[in-house]
Amino acid sequence: MTLLGVAVRNIKRSKLRTSLTLAVVAIATLFFILLRTVVWSWTSASEFSAKDRIATRHKVSFVMMLPKRYAQEIAQIPGVKAVAYANWFGAKNPKDESDFFATIATDPRALLEVYHEIQTTPEQKQAWFENRRGALVGDALAKKEGWKVGDKITLTGSIYPGDWEFFISGIYTTTTTNVDRSTLYFNWDYMNESLSARQKDQVGWILANISDAGASGRISKEIDAKFGERDLQTVTMSEAALNQSFLGMFSAILKAVDLVSIVMILIMGLIVGNTIAMGVRERTNEYGVLRAIGFLPKHIAQFVLGEAAAIGLFGGLIGVVLGYPFVNALVGRALEENMGNMFPQFRVQPGIAVLGLGLAVVLAVFSAVLPARQAASLKVVDALRRVG
Amino acid sequence: MIPISYNVRSLLVRKTTTLATAGGIALVVFVLAAALMLSSGVKKTLVAGGRDDNAIVLRKGSGNELSSSIESNTVSLILAAPGVKKDDTGAPLGSGEVIVVIAQEKLGAKPGQVSNILVRGVAENVLKLRPEARLVAGRSPKPGTDECLIGKGIAGNFRGMSLGEKFELKKNRPVEVVGVFEAGGSSFESEVWVNVETARTSFGREGLVSSVTVRLESPAKLDAFKANVSTDKQLQLEAKRETTYYEEQSQGTALFIAGMGWVVSVFCAFGAMLGAMNTMFAAVAQRKREVGTLRALGFSKFSILSSFVLESTVLAVVGGLIGLGASLLLSFARVSMMNFATWQEVSFSFSPTPRLLIGSLVAGALMGILGGFLPALKAARTSPIEAMRG
Amino acid sequence: MSETTNGKSDIIALNKVGKTFWRGKERLDVLQELDLTMKEGSFEALMGPSGSGKSTLLNLIAGLDVPSSGSLRVAGVELSQMSEGDRAGFRAANIGFVFQTYNLLPVLTALENVELPLLLAKLPAAERRKRAQTALKVVGLEDRMSHYPRQLSGGQEQRVTIARAIVSDPKIIVADEPTGDLDRHAANEILNLLGKLNTEFNKTIVMVTHDPAAAERASICHRLDKGALAL
Repeated sequence: MTLLGVAVRNIKRSKLRTSLTLAVVAIATLFFILLRTVVWSWTSASEFSAKDRIATRHKVSFVMMLPKRYAQEIAQIPGVKAVAYANWFGAKNPKDESDFFATIATDPRALLEVYHEIQTTPEQKQAWFENRRGALVGDALAKKEGWKVGDKITLTGSIYPGDWEFFISGIYTTTTTNVDRSTLYFNWDYMNESLSARQKDQVGWILANISDAGASGRISKEIDAKFGERDLQTVTMSEAALNQSFLGMFSAILKAVDLVSIVMILIMGLIVGNTIAMGVRERTNEYGVLRAIGFLPKHIAQFVLGEAAAIGLFGGLIGVVLGYPFVNALVGRALEENMGNMFPQFRVQPGIAVLGLGLAVVLAVFSAVLPARQAASLKVVDALRRVG
Repeated sequence: MIPISYNVRSLLVRKTTTLATAGGIALVVFVLAAALMLSSGVKKTLVAGGRDDNAIVLRKGSGNELSSSIESNTVSLILAAPGVKKDDTGAPLGSGEVIVVIAQEKLGAKPGQVSNILVRGVAENVLKLRPEARLVAGRSPKPGTDECLIGKGIAGNFRGMSLGEKFELKKNRPVEVVGVFEAGGSSFESEVWVNVETARTSFGREGLVSSVTVRLESPAKLDAFKANVSTDKQLQLEAKRETTYYEEQSQGTALFIAGMGWVVSVFCAFGAMLGAMNTMFAAVAQRKREVGTLRALGFSKFSILSSFVLESTVLAVVGGLIGLGASLLLSFARVSMMNFATWQEVSFSFSPTPRLLIGSLVAGALMGILGGFLPALKAARTSPIEAMRG
Repeated sequence: MSETTNGKSDIIALNKVGKTFWRGKERLDVLQELDLTMKEGSFEALMGPSGSGKSTLLNLIAGLDVPSSGSLRVAGVELSQMSEGDRAGFRAANIGFVFQTYNLLPVLTALENVELPLLLAKLPAAERRKRAQTALKVVGLEDRMSHYPRQLSGGQEQRVTIARAIVSDPKIIVADEPTGDLDRHAANEILNLLGKLNTEFNKTIVMVTHDPAAAERASICHRLDKGALAL
């Protein structure tokens, strides 16, 4: 038995109260881990983006188009391996208009070269290349919509009006989590041929694969310079930079998440502090006895703080142990499948778990400072007089 | 019944505990109210842009102005439809507008960080069509020039977006900011208004508009107008009341914020509720003898139960009121955020409504009732014999 | 230590001790000019009605409180001017406490409760354990060492308290109504035990009690009334 051991024993005293407080600490820790993982996953999305991929769009606005021939010109720049163009098609499932998924018109062969992470069987690949109305859909989307290879589906266009018919040629998975598994890709020619002359041969953005990831800055500059004197200028950036700038537009949400994780910890601190204070009040007489037999005020403070630390540690551990499956298996699976480009990797980081646990302990101890001082400053004779 | 002053005094006796528990509930109510206020602020800001007697015409299925496009030559057809109000000169009050979002560098953020600003190519009669908008600085643009107005929500927050500054919509085609307008806190205050021709030629939208907005003779004329506009199946048009349109636009973002707020609040509320339960269990244990005496005096189990539930509810309501008070301070704050519908950055405010304030307070009270119930049950089961024990 | 005629020294010596409490503006002279000595190895009782100052006197002797005036020497140490921190050390070394309500820590076993005071002494864990076991043997509870207080009877709890009081081998044991919560039979056991500590282990025992039967066990009985010794 040690002094700390005695302090830890105290958490067994009121089982109900201790369990409730442990539950609060565990919930707070779990929630903290979840929120920090959201922030981490989101902000680190750019680290998981392919380093060898750059994207070119209209300089002024992402809703404006570039001529298709820009793609061929980009392909001629030294260091560029493969080029694919794409249009945001914005079609919806007429059965459920609120159900959002990405529909992108693209050049199938080039797309699979640029997105080497996209995997499908050779047969399905071939079928897609050969079918003008063929579509390649992500497995998460196919599962959600109940689509199978060979199905014929009809979608309604929002940007490109009318009903559009597609055949599911193939279903893809990805080798890394940074590529979305809920997108429908289809043949750009199918879209282009039905457009009016003024809308024809326009592309939304151009993707390029480069041979040397380190050269992305140089090549991006070269591309923008090439079109610098034309009527339509471009902005080119690496996939990482693109993600980062996208992220910047959501900075308000990230700030809110940060704030909430602090509020949660504050609530926890209040409740733990309160529990400890209630315990201290009930044990005044005991502290009197301890002081009588020679323990010093600092020992009493240690008892109180040690008890708080034990609550923080045990509660935090429960939170971490539950947090791993909750975040990784439950929330993480859903997010990675459905919002893979925003949350490419949604996993508890050991650093975050340790931080959560550490904060639980530190805050529990911190919240017990006041009751500890109260307990330590009791006069022995007064404390002894309060016999229960 | 046991008088409520008994409970209030009991709470006052253990001030620190009462304060700490109420503080936990206050934080939860604060978070919930803040999220709901922001969500209602989003709705209010976007819906404030719409008028009951304005109708907006889009290409069918496009969902919003950004994806919509309509041939210019159909604009006169739409303006001639029944129900459209005429101005003093007898011309129909309405116009085709071109809408594009541009990526503009944000000031005060990381260097190079861009956000999307909505540019609206408007006709000269725009201030008649949207009388809520009025100049607060500078002057109106001269007709037929590349001059523009900006909303006060973006003034000074983006590169080139200040009175007297210039920015490019197209290479070698600078647009000069000559005036700043306000529009009753609506999302128009986050827009750039340029001459429709300037927008058309800069963005390569010759012969097209994005949407057509008209003033109706009265709000009731919408159905007649709508029927007329959608008769020609070839044109593929749909008309909506402007307020309805903006409400649809706000849905995604408003729901997202409210949803986040609820998820967060449920987690926090669970914690705060357990905290309240803890406090009440301790209170019950401390007053075992007191409660035994009350029982011995003849108070029923039910009155003991309701007394303790009441005490915990009072505790929670006090916390809830503190949280609400703090959240009301947010009315002075503004948040710049992306609206999911148009990818456009809009400056929102926290907007309290009686309903959401009462809802948050009720949520807080509920934490008290739920947290207090089990301890109260334990108290009610106290035997009168406890009064005699030491 | 001052030598006295019968060869035994005074282990407790109070000289003109006064103790005043203030209740708001009201002055309460609980003890007045009190002179009292107790011999080493004696068993003395303090009796008196409520408010007579007997508990205050016991607190002073135990070093829990300091007098407002006069001098107080216990176990060769002048306590009247000592700081609380130093008195804590004094208590740990010289005083064993027995309370009316036992005051054991409910979360610790009998053995651990007895071991508690030794945590203050820098002893190896095995040694602490051995001493605590010895103390429990003295009070006859060697078969209850791993029981928690709530698993013991009142008399047994009080015996654990006594074991705790003697474990650090103090010269003096102060007992505040040690039999107040016990039935006659258990009370007799406790008094027998205190007597044994006095005779076999030569502990000086100072006991506050209401119970005339308990007071009879003491060799000397002091009666207090209104802050002064009544003879």
